[in-house]
Amino acid sequence: MSELNTRRLLLAGDTTLDPLGRLLERSQEAPRLQISAAPYGQVYQILLNASHPAWEFKPDMLVLWTAPQLTLPSMEKLLRFASGPASEVYEVVLREAEQFAQLVVQAASRVAQVLVPTWVLPSYERWIQTLTWRHGVGPANLLAKANLILAEKFSARENIVLLDAGYWQASLGRPAYDPRMYAVAKILYSPSLFEKAAAEIKSVLRGSLGQTKKVIVCDLDNTLWGGVVGDDGPESIKLGAPDPVGECFHAFQKTLKGLRSRGVLLVICSKNDEKFALSVIETHPAMVLRKSDFVAWRINWKDKAENLVALAKELNLDLDSFVFLDDSPQERDQVRQVLPEVHTPDLPVSPSELAPFLSAMTCFETQTIGGEDLRRTEMYQAERGRKEALELSTDVDTWLKSLQIEVRATPLRRETLARAAQLLNKTNQFNLSLRRLEEESYWNWAAQNGNASYTFNVVDRFGDFGLTGLVSFSFNGTEARIVDFVMSCRVMGKKVEEALLGYAVARAMTAGADRVVATVVEGPRNQPIKTFFASKFLSGDAATIDPAHVGIPPQISLKEEVFELQPAL
Amino acid sequence: MNELIAILNDIRPGQNFSKADNFFEQGVLDSLDLTALVAALESRYDVFIDVDEITTDNFRNLSAIKTLLERKGVWSSSAA
Repeated sequence: MSELNTRRLLLAGDTTLDPLGRLLERSQEAPRLQISAAPYGQVYQILLNASHPAWEFKPDMLVLWTAPQLTLPSMEKLLRFASGPASEVYEVVLREAEQFAQLVVQAASRVAQVLVPTWVLPSYERWIQTLTWRHGVGPANLLAKANLILAEKFSARENIVLLDAGYWQASLGRPAYDPRMYAVAKILYSPSLFEKAAAEIKSVLRGSLGQTKKVIVCDLDNTLWGGVVGDDGPESIKLGAPDPVGECFHAFQKTLKGLRSRGVLLVICSKNDEKFALSVIETHPAMVLRKSDFVAWRINWKDKAENLVALAKELNLDLDSFVFLDDSPQERDQVRQVLPEVHTPDLPVSPSELAPFLSAMTCFETQTIGGEDLRRTEMYQAERGRKEALELSTDVDTWLKSLQIEVRATPLRRETLARAAQLLNKTNQFNLSLRRLEEESYWNWAAQNGNASYTFNVVDRFGDFGLTGLVSFSFNGTEARIVDFVMSCRVMGKKVEEALLGYAVARAMTAGADRVVATVVEGPRNQPIKTFFASKFLSGDAATIDPAHVGIPPQISLKEEVFELQPAL
Repeated sequence: MNELIAILNDIRPGQNFSKADNFFEQGVLDSLDLTALVAALESRYDVFIDVDEITTDNFRNLSAIKTLLERKGVWSSSAA
């Protein structure tokens, strides 16, 4: 089963969006999309009428890109003073915006996800600048309010994403509109804006599918600071004010710190003396990032690709979730050749472009930022503590016992849905069916009669692993099928999977099952789960789980929250 | 001319542009491709193609496009 199933996306708008459709369909970036562009100008018909021909395409997703002056009938009047004073039309436009938002919310139940770029006026439209932001009068003021109405109404549905078209336009540096193409083919936006929109839409979709990068590996010299610390000495590296180059590296570190604080892991890979480099990181007054901001490092004279492989092993993460940032074109080339799965972008040559470049990277997109993300670096640091404890222990069982692992089982809830979907979509190694579903689709599936989904939180004496397990069933008479069995690689190697399966089988039996079945799909990286399940089936029946082979290990304490067979709404 | 074919191939891969008399009548390109072609030519040759010049006739085949670009001073007749 492919991780990157082709998804069907319907484009609807009040101008020709076909160029965007072609870009989205042809782009090699994940996810692969099949596009249908509805004839322009039928937005209201498509939203109102579930049997409009546009829906025959059976889209998974809808992109609804409208221009305010075309879709809100009174906006054009306000812009052109067509119905007297602007202040009279102002309120009417706001009501039209509310109606539009309401229709989008209703139509959102027909697809897994709706993406709506915010309303922006073409940059070639200059209204009276003295009045455009005046409350109750001007279009700039009105549009800001109308976009807030969209944001507020859309918050009723988790599956509607409002995209920042104002940012697209501002980030271009080239014209976003082409009045000629509007005259020729009703194409309002320029090719550059369509390219930006396609890249951003793909990025948001990857984010909602959990296909994002998790780790940034940074070089030190001329990447985190200016100069070579081993040659120049810690006093002479360029970092922080008043040196302008130092300011740039300071800004770059601040951007990295921001990513770290929202769940991206930072790692160092540098050709330096480890003790010396770490002491610079800890003591240099202008360092933004300190040792505690990094979850791992390889500071040595070895080949960088070799170090990256070791780091991936240490963190138990796939190399395709790594981004490698290094100022040296030679190092980058070597990593690209040996490890093409690592994302190795060319860094800008000017230090002033480093922070903007990092900030503009689309590979760290995420659907939500939850507690798991904010605490991720700390969790990995606790893992270092566990590994050190393992090195001190005489045997694995004693070590496991010393960890005092506690697993808490809970039925899927609205509050845990975002993290559960993230786990389902991001996990490759310990994932039974490799099924990928957007949040709403997963919730709806779990809420169906006969289906049930449970989440597992794991804690030990070093810290909280958070929500790291997900098991779901589908009952068919007295047979319970395990549909999803997903565990984060963070808790691998601690017999937590035994506890999850032991609990799941016991749970299914209590609910009336006399047989629990499971099918492990073939995936590129799911050997760990294949190995685990291989020993769990009845002999001669590679689908039915043998209850004699499952049980909660004595080193793990399992607690359960009150269960209902259906997840609570 | 080869460069022109490369630009066209980017827009619509796998078509025989040299042989076609009329891209639009023969289904080699459609009107959306025309807008993409205008944008590609403008950025490659740093020219401005005005709204009244964006017609299927001006872009109907390789020699028509060449004529248009020559008129804009892109190629001297010897270089083409």
